[in-house]
Amino acid sequence: MGSSDYWEPEVETLSRNRLEELQLKRLKNMLVKTCSTVDLYRRRLDDAGIDPKRFNTLDDLEKIPFTVKDDLRDNYPFGLFARTMKEVVRIHSSSGTTGNPTVVGYTKNDIAMWANLIARQLYAAGIRRDDVIQNSYGYGLFTGGLGLHYGGELLGAVVVPVSGGNTERQIKIMQDYKSTAICCTPSYALYIAEVGKELGVDFESLPLVTGIMGAEPWTEEIRREIEARLHIDAIDIYGLSEIIGPGVSCECDRKAGLHIAEDHFIIEIIDPETGKRKKPGEIGEMVFTSLTKEALPIIRYRTRDLSKIDTSKCGCGRTHARMAKPMGRADDMLIIRGVNVFPSQIEEVLMQVRGVEPHYLIVVDSKNYLDTLEVWIEVSEEIFSEKMNDLENFESAIEHKLYSITGIKIDVKLKEPKTIQRSIGKAKRVIDKRKGETI
Amino acid sequence: MNNDRFWDKKTTELGRDEIKAIQLTRLQRTLKHCYDNNSFYRKRMDDGGLDPENIKDLADLEKLPFTSKEELRDNYPFGLFCTPLEEVIRIHSSSGTTGNPTVVGYTQQDLNMWSDVLARIMYDVGTRREDVVQVSHGFGLFTGGFGFQNSAEKIGAMMVPASGGNTERQLKLMIDFKTTVLCCTPSYTLHMAEVAEKKGIDFSKLYLKLGFFGAEPWSESMRKEIEERLHITALDSYGLSEVIGPGVSCECLHQNGLHINEDHFLAEIIDPATGKTLPLGEKGEITFTSLTKKAFPVLRYRTKDISYLIEEDCQCGKKFIRMAKPMGRTDDMMIIRGVNVFPSQIEEVLMSVGDLEPHYLIVLDTKNYMDTIEVWVEVSEEKFHDKIMDLEDFERSIESRLYSDIGIRIKASLKEPKTIARSEGKAQRVLDKRKTN
Repeated sequence: MGSSDYWEPEVETLSRNRLEELQLKRLKNMLVKTCSTVDLYRRRLDDAGIDPKRFNTLDDLEKIPFTVKDDLRDNYPFGLFARTMKEVVRIHSSSGTTGNPTVVGYTKNDIAMWANLIARQLYAAGIRRDDVIQNSYGYGLFTGGLGLHYGGELLGAVVVPVSGGNTERQIKIMQDYKSTAICCTPSYALYIAEVGKELGVDFESLPLVTGIMGAEPWTEEIRREIEARLHIDAIDIYGLSEIIGPGVSCECDRKAGLHIAEDHFIIEIIDPETGKRKKPGEIGEMVFTSLTKEALPIIRYRTRDLSKIDTSKCGCGRTHARMAKPMGRADDMLIIRGVNVFPSQIEEVLMQVRGVEPHYLIVVDSKNYLDTLEVWIEVSEEIFSEKMNDLENFESAIEHKLYSITGIKIDVKLKEPKTIQRSIGKAKRVIDKRKGETI
Repeated sequence: MNNDRFWDKKTTELGRDEIKAIQLTRLQRTLKHCYDNNSFYRKRMDDGGLDPENIKDLADLEKLPFTSKEELRDNYPFGLFCTPLEEVIRIHSSSGTTGNPTVVGYTQQDLNMWSDVLARIMYDVGTRREDVVQVSHGFGLFTGGFGFQNSAEKIGAMMVPASGGNTERQLKLMIDFKTTVLCCTPSYTLHMAEVAEKKGIDFSKLYLKLGFFGAEPWSESMRKEIEERLHITALDSYGLSEVIGPGVSCECLHQNGLHINEDHFLAEIIDPATGKTLPLGEKGEITFTSLTKKAFPVLRYRTKDISYLIEEDCQCGKKFIRMAKPMGRTDDMMIIRGVNVFPSQIEEVLMSVGDLEPHYLIVLDTKNYMDTIEVWVEVSEEKFHDKIMDLEDFERSIESRLYSDIGIRIKASLKEPKTIARSEGKAQRVLDKRKTN
């Protein structure tokens, strides 16, 4: 595997020019092939007057229409596959309970490419073949479990496929097998920390040193909590099954943005309202195009996830562009009395307050035709046992901070420790009663 | 790719003598590997006066002591591994944290062998790359899901990792993806059939043609029912994680015994009481010795499953020896929806909870073809006279302890003191209503 700093030294440190050359060559190749096999894309490019054979600059990509989740649903189950069933060896699918789920397929080459991306990222996060990786993502149709799994095996680490749930067993395995890395959602990591504390586990004395965490947006403050409670480095990994699963991007050990695997995916940042490309460094919705996928190539897929891009070289020496930690979802954006508010903004404020536990719930409702926003927060035992007066002061102090960051008035309700529901998979942080959601 | 009738034609058609010669060479290598790399095995061979360099005959194996689950547990977690952890890339484990679970490890080479022996089984009965294989075994630490997933992908079939549960979704996948091959436990399959019939799904119009069923014992009458209701051929697949996982043996389309992948696993039938090897064809406990595994070889592993060996030629053309469909256990292990559970595990949990009397009864039953398990336990006088709400909370907390320790949902029913029948001799702790249904 060459140099000890990189899994694939050459491709990870290509100059921007060479990287873009490679992208253009692969993009053109992918478009030609995809248009000859997938009806939807052929029609869309025809309608836009684009001839994939005459594709000369990466900027031309902007002329191609977007692909959205509904395109996958409308072509359920295999309508967007570019290869025959004979060549497809694996299916994954979203859990979608309403309507048809999103179905994605992989050829043998796709599976090998995916495992290689994950191995590259685990390696960049400092994981080596003598590590023991406890993989606590769910296995099955969800891409998290099997995706991380085969990357870990390719790297040569010991992979323990614990899957999600049964937290006491997770902790026993962590202790007995001497796990050095854990893969799970950030909210589940916090839950493990909490259960571990109750059981009297001293995480500092365990061999666990790295966490690979994703599948939901999380803030720097949550990272600090996880790192302090579990005594690990918590690394952010990003991906979605429509693009490939986990492995689209991941932080290196510098934790200074998530390196996008640009040799396999092109990223664009657009304005979610107008669809126009944003200027470099501006926040917007991420759009991905796959360059090498065979079974389900994807062109300009709108992720609905918000981030921004930095193309400068990272301190680690890798040249692949870095995306900022995802800042929430274009469709999570709450519009409260006309003001745009992101749950992540609220989380950042809360996590800076001492005595606030990393468990909260945002409740949106309307009263007399006006939107209302409440935040339920768990506070530590100490704070909660203080006098009523002090609790009220504490509430208004947080309300004041929230107002200064978001510009709107948010009611704070303090809750007893361990009263807000915990999640084992992705955390549900917002209840929008305006949409008929209930707690 | 592969247009032959057999996945591995050469090995499959080897004569008995040739197979035995391969077994001997590989046995010599395995014993030496264990001797050189693991102090537990080295000590055992030294104590038994067995020189791994001097094995001349397969019968020499009889000099070696058996390995049982207890030794696996005593050497928890990695004490019986025969390669450094650096070479291990996968761990699987039995469920259950009461006592220690059994932990098994695999090198890359072990995983390649595993996917190959199970691909051989699946291919030889007609699974091809145009098939859609729905894997409804659980994924994770359990070997069932991973085993079939790897092998289906190796054949090049389209593998759908449905995992267990969510029956309506299972059926939706089966219909929408045009599933042709199902890998599942027999009891869950019948449950799916039941739900499907209620929804008016007509299996004769679906594409499903073949099923590999295992992880629990099942009878010929259950096979007949699965085949009739799902309109498929139902094959018995056998394996256990200690030996490798699914892929140890499986029926061919003639359904007259499970062909053992003998080039990798050597079977013996012993008398469970005396440990003596029984003559060919006699019924006893089946034990396995792995012949090619690196990370976690097993030597004369006692499965506690009862079967016998059949050497006559099979019409399918495979020369591998067959084992009869397993016909019971030598111990009190219960298999609940594919998960192995011992009464002692349940007892340990109950006894660690305060306010319970040492009188309990485990009741096994089936509901809609799914196994159910319930434990009746007497509470102390004092606790019993608490408010009723309190007792319900108490039941929930016992259930959650049972789940976290054993890994399956067990219903707890608290009983008044002195209401569970006492025994005069050996306590009757398990009531298996499945056997009388």
